[in-house]
Amino acid sequence: MNRAVLTLAGIVLAALGVVGASTLFTVAEGRQALVLQLGEPVRVISEPGLRVKLPFVQNVVMMDKRILSFDAPKEELIAADQKRLVVDAFARFRIVDPLKFYQTVGNETVARSRLAAVINSGLRRILGQAPFAAILSGDRANLMRQISDLVNEEAKDLGIEVVDVRIKRADLPDANSQAIYRRMQADRDREAKEIRATGAEESQRIRSRAERERTVLLAEAQREAQVLRGQGDATAIAIFAEAFGKDIEFFSFYRSMLAYRETMSDKNTTMVLTPDSEFFRFFESLSGKGSVTKR
Amino acid sequence: MPWQNKGGWQPGGGNRGPWGRGPSGGGGGGGGMQPPNLEDLLRKGQDRFKGMMPVGNWGGRGLLLIGLVMLAVWLGSGFYRVQPDEQGVVLRFGKWVETTQPGLRYHFPSPIESVVRPSVTRVNRVDIGFRSLGDGPRGSQIRDVTEESIMLTGDENIVDIDMSVLWVIKDAGKYLFSIQQAEATVKAVAESALREQVGRSRLVPVLTEGRQLLESSTQRLMQEILDFYNAGVLVRQVTLQKIDPPAQVIDSFRDVQAARADAERQKNEAESYQNDIIPRARGESERLRQEAEAYKQEVVARSQGEAQRFISIHNEFLRAKDVTRQRIYLETMEEILRNMNKLIIDAKGVQPFLPLQDLIRRPGDRQ
Repeated sequence: MNRAVLTLAGIVLAALGVVGASTLFTVAEGRQALVLQLGEPVRVISEPGLRVKLPFVQNVVMMDKRILSFDAPKEELIAADQKRLVVDAFARFRIVDPLKFYQTVGNETVARSRLAAVINSGLRRILGQAPFAAILSGDRANLMRQISDLVNEEAKDLGIEVVDVRIKRADLPDANSQAIYRRMQADRDREAKEIRATGAEESQRIRSRAERERTVLLAEAQREAQVLRGQGDATAIAIFAEAFGKDIEFFSFYRSMLAYRETMSDKNTTMVLTPDSEFFRFFESLSGKGSVTKR
Repeated sequence: MPWQNKGGWQPGGGNRGPWGRGPSGGGGGGGGMQPPNLEDLLRKGQDRFKGMMPVGNWGGRGLLLIGLVMLAVWLGSGFYRVQPDEQGVVLRFGKWVETTQPGLRYHFPSPIESVVRPSVTRVNRVDIGFRSLGDGPRGSQIRDVTEESIMLTGDENIVDIDMSVLWVIKDAGKYLFSIQQAEATVKAVAESALREQVGRSRLVPVLTEGRQLLESSTQRLMQEILDFYNAGVLVRQVTLQKIDPPAQVIDSFRDVQAARADAERQKNEAESYQNDIIPRARGESERLRQEAEAYKQEVVARSQGEAQRFISIHNEFLRAKDVTRQRIYLETMEEILRNMNKLIIDAKGVQPFLPLQDLIRRPGDRQ
């Protein structure tokens, strides 16, 4: 009796457990669920928590509700001005319509491959209409928004909302990069030359100014010097003239005597004299008249 | 991910129910097989209990006791500790119900509630353009990732930039539940934002004074994008580790620097030349001036002296003209001829002694 009850209770418990396991399920935070009844979608659950479904006939497909990452492969494409560039983009998307998502793509793997194609064509269409410079700089944000809009339009059919498409890198192909390197090099070389030449110019300017200043300084000094010398000479001449003018005859005698002394005191000077010069007049006659009369 | 080793929560868990079993598998095929199995198990369990406990009356109480102990253990498994750098995110049947602060906490035990404990104060770091290989013998070893660091500027030049981004979890719930691969997202956003900003700038400003501007604008743009993604991430700091011209052309850029230095040097040399010659020239002109002044004074003084001397002599001369004249003449001659080589020739006999040169050559002998 006791044993039969226990067995019965056990069976009931086990059955409850099995039914419970098949009835209750949780939807975790950041996820959403699609309830299928014999493969037919019946319900979308987007709020997390403990949920109930019919046992055995219904099953649940879980999907992410978070923003999902998508990294597009590198693409080489051509801008409107025929410049080639390599674009590396990424997208962030979200499953907004689990039903449509389930019906059109089924799972994330398929969704990603579809998304890759959509994003690729979006990139080509939008960037193909923009000049390279716009992609590179100012207009990039705007272009990215256009791509997002375009991609979003197509992704809507997959039950996906593309939150954002961003260009991670937009670079030139390698060959073009080399050309840029060469141009940069040439630019810098030009700049360096110019800087050096400007330096030389500046240096020459300073030097020549300095030299000019020196020349002028010296010339002016020369002028003043000559003026001073001239003044000195003039004063001296005036003084001499005034003094010597008193007796010109004596002056010439006296000055000659001074000059003789000054000029002929040297031992190496040899003087050839004739005995009949004035100095020797007493040589020949005591009276000192002889030679003078002879001459 | 930073919290992966701590929490038991699995982000990529797929179709996994709270009982650790795939719900689709449980629903479809379980029905026919399970009841006999369970019955079997129960019977075996009862048999075992009976074997362990010889007295039949004790069976019910023993079961109860074991049940209570198991209940206590189960309830006790709800205690958890939130470390000072963490936040506890409590999930009830997968739903985020509470965020707890550091300390000892309790949640309803599994499978009702579970907890995830991401570290919210830890500063995470993302490097763009290089990878740190850890600290080596000579500082930290760095490997360059040119694919990330080489980028185009707005004026179609190429620049090599390394950047580090420091970020923290601003909102644990958002971080966990609203974005997949948050860390990878931060990195992709960082790269994209940096390139967008560099694409808006010109090369030379970026290389020179644009660093801070670039850092702040990149940080702002990153934060905007991440907030738009609801990522729950706060960008603490963006640091540009390196802004260089690419390696291929760096020599040319260095040459420009060298050229600047050269130009500066040339200018300095010229200035030093100027500073050398101008004062010298000033000194020289002063010398010329002083010499001239000296000459002037000398000439004047000498002339005055000479004039005075002449006047004095003349005054005396006037008193005794002939005598003075004679005396002066003779004294002068005396002095001159004393020192001089003299050769006195009677004019009429000059002829035989010519050429005179011979006579003069050895004056000492003939004297």
